[in-house]
Amino acid sequence: MNWKYALAVTGMTLLTSSGTAFAEGELHIFNWGNYTSPDLIKKFEEVYNVKVTVTDYDSNDAALSKVRAGGHGFDIVVPSANFVPIWVKEGLLLETRPDQMENFKNIDEKWVDVPWDPGRHYTVPWQWGTTGSVVDTAAYKGEINTSAIWLDPPDELAGKINVPPEMNDVMYAAIRYVGGTWCTGDKEVLKKVRDKLKAAKPKWIAMDYGLEKFDTNDYDAAFYWNGAAFRARETTPTVRFGFPKEGYSIFMDSVAVLKDAKNVENAKLFQNFIMTPENAGLISNFATYANGVKGSEQFMRAGLKDAPELNIPPELQAAGSWQEICPAEVNDLYTKIWKDLLK
Amino acid sequence: MASGRASFSVTKQPLFAFVAAICIFALYLPIATYVAFAFNSSGTGSQWESFTIKWFVKAWQNSEIQQAALLSAEIAAVAATLATAMATLAAIATTRTSPYRGQTFTYAIINQPLIVPEIVTAVALLIFFARIKVWTDYTGLAYLIAAHTAFCIPFAYLPIRARLEGMDLTLETAAADLYANGWRTFRYVTLPLLWPGIIAGYMLAFVISLDDVVITEFVKSSGQDTLPTFMLGQIRRSITPELNAAATGFFALSVFAVTVFYVINRKRSQQQ
Repeated sequence: MNWKYALAVTGMTLLTSSGTAFAEGELHIFNWGNYTSPDLIKKFEEVYNVKVTVTDYDSNDAALSKVRAGGHGFDIVVPSANFVPIWVKEGLLLETRPDQMENFKNIDEKWVDVPWDPGRHYTVPWQWGTTGSVVDTAAYKGEINTSAIWLDPPDELAGKINVPPEMNDVMYAAIRYVGGTWCTGDKEVLKKVRDKLKAAKPKWIAMDYGLEKFDTNDYDAAFYWNGAAFRARETTPTVRFGFPKEGYSIFMDSVAVLKDAKNVENAKLFQNFIMTPENAGLISNFATYANGVKGSEQFMRAGLKDAPELNIPPELQAAGSWQEICPAEVNDLYTKIWKDLLK
Repeated sequence: MASGRASFSVTKQPLFAFVAAICIFALYLPIATYVAFAFNSSGTGSQWESFTIKWFVKAWQNSEIQQAALLSAEIAAVAATLATAMATLAAIATTRTSPYRGQTFTYAIINQPLIVPEIVTAVALLIFFARIKVWTDYTGLAYLIAAHTAFCIPFAYLPIRARLEGMDLTLETAAADLYANGWRTFRYVTLPLLWPGIIAGYMLAFVISLDDVVITEFVKSSGQDTLPTFMLGQIRRSITPELNAAATGFFALSVFAVTVFYVINRKRSQQQ
């Protein structure tokens, strides 16, 4: 009967082995694509002897609907600031109290009492950035700290401007540019926004992701994110990033632990782990956005620490702000304008 | 039109060459460009610098791409095998029987993945599998394999069925006349004749599974990024020629599979 027993054991092992990993523990991270530093993951795996998997998503909505459905197998998710309240409200996140963790003292004070997670009871800062104007200064010498770059384009830049297909970011900047406030439902303001966008669009060359075309001068300007502008400057040294004085949005993605996580302890270890300056530096080195950890600058690669794209000049700091989720009826108005623009 | 019908030929219609040229241009120029830029030494992929194979080396050494590519191949191999086996049985059951009630319905069910929009299947599978994942606590590869098998079946089924319908029935009848039982007839007559159709079906199923984005994206659990979903995740940020290189490798694999499909098909038509 021995062989039968052996066979059964082998069978059982084969059946279960596909689900379990080989290291002591596991950690399954669900993050934006191309956003997680492989060096950081390797270090975490070595320090804690944990096998880590990273799986990608490409939008907040996709991540949310997948986790909402259940049975996803993830432990950690990295939602954007405006989505965190939804995750919390739907009871999808575990209250891990990062504010009581050992390394929390390293978090920059300005990222502690954030409106979407006051006192940081759920989330740990991952990276943050802003939208703004990207300009090749070889083509245009004027003022770049303004959304006029792409909403009232100077002649030198007309026909060379890229605007990404991101409704909320574009609408935000346009509303602030005409003097409105985000989430306004004021028809007068929105009419101005629509007219402004529709008048500007013929002067744009594309509505795409990516700034690669700066190196061929197919693009001389763009509305885009600061970390990408930094990378564009690495290939095209004359590229500069401007923080629009009329107003620009700030985003922050934060690391949270899921309520139905299987590896809660490892997930908490990870939250604590990324709050050390050295590890936060690794995060920024890979994706070239700033993080929220004090002292991480000294672990950033050359050129990143003092990058003008990542350090907002004091006089322009007040113009930046969070982008809340607007009420549904307001969002419908914005969607209408956006669809009209894309036509 | 009556007089023209006898000599009707698509290729002789006015503008045929023009339309064909546009189609070929629109379909293949982007692929050709994409492949060409896999060999470009510039990192941004918008300006040609000089010829290099460094991106292939980098892609080959990138552990994320490696894992994703391996997983894609693994799922495609298993799903195509299962789908082809089931499709073969289904094809026999829908061609080698006297017509029965519900035959058309059976046919429709088998080909359902061709008709129902993929996104609908994907969302349905997400909800359905999520329940099972919660109940069983199992989040392994079986879900992806099951999903891929299901939508691969019609692609394997159609060439096998076409082959069965084109085969000479008298051979099977003769075998039966010579006292071969059902199994022996199948084993020694039907199966050898059917083999090219099965290979063709397998190749198609394999390529279809390899390509899939939508259903995989919805069904995948942790650590289950296939090459297509991995590439999708990269789009928001800059795409490096590393991805061009990985995609070129995949493209070569697909072309190889389709070529095998074509060669086998041609052999088959020559035999007949």
